Amino acid sequence: MRAGVFLCECGGNISGVVDLGPLAEHARSLDGVVAVSINQFMCGTEGRALIEKAVEERGLDHFVIASCSPRFQGPTFERIARELRLGENAVAFGNIREGCSYVHAQEPERAQVKARKIVEGAVARLHHMSDLPRQRTFLSRSVLVVGGGIAGMSAAEELAATGIEVHLVERQQSIGGYMARLSKTFPTEDCAMCSLAPRLTGTAINSRIHLHALSDVTAITGPPGEFSVTVRHRPRYVNEKCVGCGECAAVCPVTYPNDFDFGVSERTAVHRPFANAVPATFAIDRKGWSPCKTACPVHTSAHGYVALVAKGRYEEAWRVASEPNPFPSVCGRICTHVCETECTRGNVDDPIAIAGIKRFVADHGAPAELPAPLPVFYDEPIAIVGGGPAGLTAARELAQFGYKATVFEALPVAGGMLRVGIPEYRLPRDVLQGEVDRITALGVELKTGQRCGTDFTVDSLFADGYKAVFMATGLHQSKDLPIPGLDQEGVLRAVELLRAQALGEQPSTGKRVVVVGGGDVAYDAGRTAFRCGADEVTLACIEDERTAPASSEEIEEGKQEQVHVEYSLLPVEILGSGGIASGVKFQRCTLGAPNERGWRPPLPVEGEYVELSGDTVIFAVGQAIVADFTAGAEGVVVERGQIGVDPDTMMTGRRGVFAGGDAAAMGPWTAIEAIAAGRRGARAVHNFLRGELLVPVWDSEADKVKIPHTELEPFEPQARRIMKTLDGVARRTTWEEVRLGFSEEDVREEAARCLDCAVCSDCKSCVTACPADAIDFDQKAWDEEITVGAVILATGHQEFDAMRKLPLGYSRFRNVLTQSQLARLLSASGPTAGELKRPSDGEVPRRIFMLQCVGSRDCTSSGNEHCSAICCLFATLHSSLIKQHYPDAEITIGYTDMRTPGKAHEEYYRLVQERGVRYVRGRVGEILEEQDGSLTVRLENTMTGSKSEEAYDLVVLSAGLEGSKGTQDIARVAGVQTAAAGFIRELHPKLAPVDTQRTGMFLCGTAQGPKNIPDSIAQAKAAAARAISMLSTGFAMTPAQVAASDVSVCIGCGVCEASCPQTAIVLTLGADAHSVVDPNICRGCGICAAECPTGAIQLGGFSDDEVLAEATV
Amino acid sequence: MAGAASTTGPGATADRKIVAFCCRECAYAAADASANARTPLPPTVRLVLMPCTGRVSPLHLLSALAEGADGVMVAGCLLGQCHYREGNFHAVDRVAFVQRLLRSVGVEPERCRMFTMSAGEPPKFVAAVREMDRVIGGLPPLPRSEDGGGRKAASAGGASSLAAGEPLVAARGAA
Repeated sequence: MRAGVFLCECGGNISGVVDLGPLAEHARSLDGVVAVSINQFMCGTEGRALIEKAVEERGLDHFVIASCSPRFQGPTFERIARELRLGENAVAFGNIREGCSYVHAQEPERAQVKARKIVEGAVARLHHMSDLPRQRTFLSRSVLVVGGGIAGMSAAEELAATGIEVHLVERQQSIGGYMARLSKTFPTEDCAMCSLAPRLTGTAINSRIHLHALSDVTAITGPPGEFSVTVRHRPRYVNEKCVGCGECAAVCPVTYPNDFDFGVSERTAVHRPFANAVPATFAIDRKGWSPCKTACPVHTSAHGYVALVAKGRYEEAWRVASEPNPFPSVCGRICTHVCETECTRGNVDDPIAIAGIKRFVADHGAPAELPAPLPVFYDEPIAIVGGGPAGLTAARELAQFGYKATVFEALPVAGGMLRVGIPEYRLPRDVLQGEVDRITALGVELKTGQRCGTDFTVDSLFADGYKAVFMATGLHQSKDLPIPGLDQEGVLRAVELLRAQALGEQPSTGKRVVVVGGGDVAYDAGRTAFRCGADEVTLACIEDERTAPASSEEIEEGKQEQVHVEYSLLPVEILGSGGIASGVKFQRCTLGAPNERGWRPPLPVEGEYVELSGDTVIFAVGQAIVADFTAGAEGVVVERGQIGVDPDTMMTGRRGVFAGGDAAAMGPWTAIEAIAAGRRGARAVHNFLRGELLVPVWDSEADKVKIPHTELEPFEPQARRIMKTLDGVARRTTWEEVRLGFSEEDVREEAARCLDCAVCSDCKSCVTACPADAIDFDQKAWDEEITVGAVILATGHQEFDAMRKLPLGYSRFRNVLTQSQLARLLSASGPTAGELKRPSDGEVPRRIFMLQCVGSRDCTSSGNEHCSAICCLFATLHSSLIKQHYPDAEITIGYTDMRTPGKAHEEYYRLVQERGVRYVRGRVGEILEEQDGSLTVRLENTMTGSKSEEAYDLVVLSAGLEGSKGTQDIARVAGVQTAAAGFIRELHPKLAPVDTQRTGMFLCGTAQGPKNIPDSIAQAKAAAARAISMLSTGFAMTPAQVAASDVSVCIGCGVCEASCPQTAIVLTLGADAHSVVDPNICRGCGICAAECPTGAIQLGGFSDDEVLAEATV
Repeated sequence: MAGAASTTGPGATADRKIVAFCCRECAYAAADASANARTPLPPTVRLVLMPCTGRVSPLHLLSALAEGADGVMVAGCLLGQCHYREGNFHAVDRVAFVQRLLRSVGVEPERCRMFTMSAGEPPKFVAAVREMDRVIGGLPPLPRSEDGGGRKAASAGGASSLAAGEPLVAARGAA
């Protein structure tokens, strides 16, 4: 080391007390010192020249400045060292002025000794000082502003004016923030929207401001100056063709609480929050597929037709219900309706009666005339084997794609199991035939009485020119059990009984019938037996009551018709004599553990037998495939009772032959699954013929959402409507339909129970209504990566949730509002056009009470400690507006303390007092609702101590401010801290009010804390100025005085990571875990270095060696 | 306010040494301000500038005592007003730790003290230094072995780098 020591006289301030000559002599004797000089003012040009000369001539690499406090001239000498290329950390300071001559002037001898020690200490320190690395950071001249409220817009405007590119990200569909929702602003009482609208337009047309509405910032990585930001754009479902005409909203059937109006009005799913919105396009509030739509195998938008029914639009509802499903009236009657099982409302009270609504839609909304035949685009004819739900659905789908489809049906009637498996009293024949007719009307050819394998073969179909075959032959044979006595007279099979009845054969059963089986088919057979003359029907199944496989409707209706059911019985023998059955012998059983297919085998209980006597025994224990079509169908393989298909393409072992429905079911045997299989089959055939064989026919999962009921808007519990039926016993002799359907009144009330949990109902009414073709349901969320130099957080606040103050009755009592809600009611552009109408009856309230400090200045667990700063004047403003509009109004403001600091605020408060608003210093214990909706306020006057009960027409709560949810979210993403009530913490409450703890990230507006509009704007401009000053040079150096970790010493304990207040330190993972300091974030406090147990982490310029060298001299 | 009578009072004699680790934001600023007002201070005190009292480790305090100081003081911002938010809370803990350690080896714990003040409270800094000087003046010089003890003795050569960790590991063992 070659060190210089420069002693400053400071014009006598130092040399008047300390004799610098001997001090210089002493310094010259110190280890490493090669040059010593004394000057009158080391900080002047002469001093600088001395240093330069010594560095040049004596080859100094370090030097000591013994002069004033390093807090004064330290930076000057550090700059000189840097300019002389001695690097960072080349100067040590001996504070011999403030540290010596100034304070020991009365004791010059001791001062002299101390000065020697100070210089010794500084020289000792030099021995341990080495250059500190600094990183050069490129600064992107662009800024991310998060939050498009008044603060975010103001910052963006200011930044853009200096030529910086701004990315303004707003979570809502329009910018404007809270201010756009206010009526007027204090103390000038000018219209909020009037002052905001030019800003909105200005932001929209500014070419340097890139607006990302309906978007979230999901990640911020990288160093300051070059932050890499991920912006997730949520779909609007309305594209840029939108002209803002509002035709879509006019037809939207969904009504949802209007969040823009804080719930005091309702809006449609497709909407624009306010007329001046930016962007001006509408957007659809759509969370995804409602659970009902997701659950449905064909994804019928149940929510869609339910919403339309609630509005009395039955024809449109029919269009929605029949779009994916050619059998709406069938499914309205006999569907297993998993949609109801999944209904969100079912988690809270009862699910919507979706099937009943659908039946009403099909019965009353279907157009009277049949559709016109569809044009055929493709010249490949397609054969469909089987005219059941799967085959007919496939035929309709293919016709809609543009194919000529021919359906071959073995029976004399079309409909498959819908026709011959489901009894007429559940599904009237004419209803089914109506829907079959609608399919054939499209140009689908139906050939009945044509059995595959007998009347024609698959080979012959291809020979006849068909290019693809879809096999949907179903399961039309009853399964038998391997027990003795099956061949006796009086033993029937359910499938055969039902088919015979359906085909008009009028089968007869005995008087006392035992049905073996407990599923829907068993019930259908038993109930059909009643109608064929039975007096007594007993069902016996292996399941117990809890696991009974039949649908709840069948069980309920069976009970009404007095079908007797025996559970947990395993048939072992058909009893009888002389070839005539007389009953069934059962063994009591339990169910074993489910096997890999979910089936639970019956476990017989030893020695427990039960006999049921009867003259007829009907077997309903399952169905099997009739595999008579395989002749001339090489490659089509029946295995395990099903036609084998590739699950992704539905193709059988023979090219061009597909199969679906019950015959190739890979799931439950229900009508709706068969319909879904038909749709997939049509898609598979189409993909095959169009050369896209590998495209899977199953649905994508992308849109499926589950809405937790905690996210629902509040609603009143309400029981679901019960559909009327024919009388239970009397109907046993008639084939009339048992269930009578809903009345129009019932169906509309039932439909109105829908919670619109996914908001948009996917009814697509807007698609039809839009004249600009702007609705686009195919939009998907997408991520965009942008690079910015700095970030400004302006994500704002939200109103304290007044529901947390239970005694005040908010949300329980209709006439208790918050100031924000009142702002909407008083706003000229609000839901009442500025007329103050109380929610319960629309009357103008005369006596109004406003309660201050709701959730503010509140040390209980349900409130916040801080003062929300704006509420005193917010209430005063609203009182003044009401008083001017309704001079008769009597307004009382119950306050804790009136706080009106700020320009012209106290004057405004006095003015409003003079306008006749009554201010009472008091707290409210409780608010009670009277019969007529008026409210009794129990008030304690904290001035006089008196308690009173006062009656009011309307109560308005001045709920305080909290950091918004967006603020919490962005704090997490940006890695900045939040403090009490969710506001983002500034770097220093006084000295750095718009900086965050992360370099290059600034904050402004109510995300930082409660404040009014001008303060938000002022802070926004300050934040913009901070960003501009940071980015103006184009590059930056990281500071020298930052912590750094020596990986060879670090043991990876993580103490530093935990102690860093800036979260600048992270621990790497793995066996050689060690700490890494981000110099962009580190602010150089050194806490980590003091905490480190091994000395691995050291603070630049303040290493242990440097500090101790000086301290121990 | 300055005056010969109020310089040091009945404080420590000239051979005593008190090392004052002062944070740059508050305590050192208060020291500068009091000095600019020419407020006399006892010459026993020697200021060491630190970025934050959070940087002062037990190692610094113990080494200073081991190698010549009769007393050490840590002077930082008012609690809750640290410019790095938490540094002075760490310092309070560490000073308490060092005091316990001193007591356990028979050294007066008041040789190590923590003081807090804002940059705008120079009198508080002056009072702190004078208090420290008075206390140390009332105690005998800190006894040391002939070679001076501490790390200088441990690492022959005096100016060589610190064997990282040794003193602290020992200190942790004692805790």
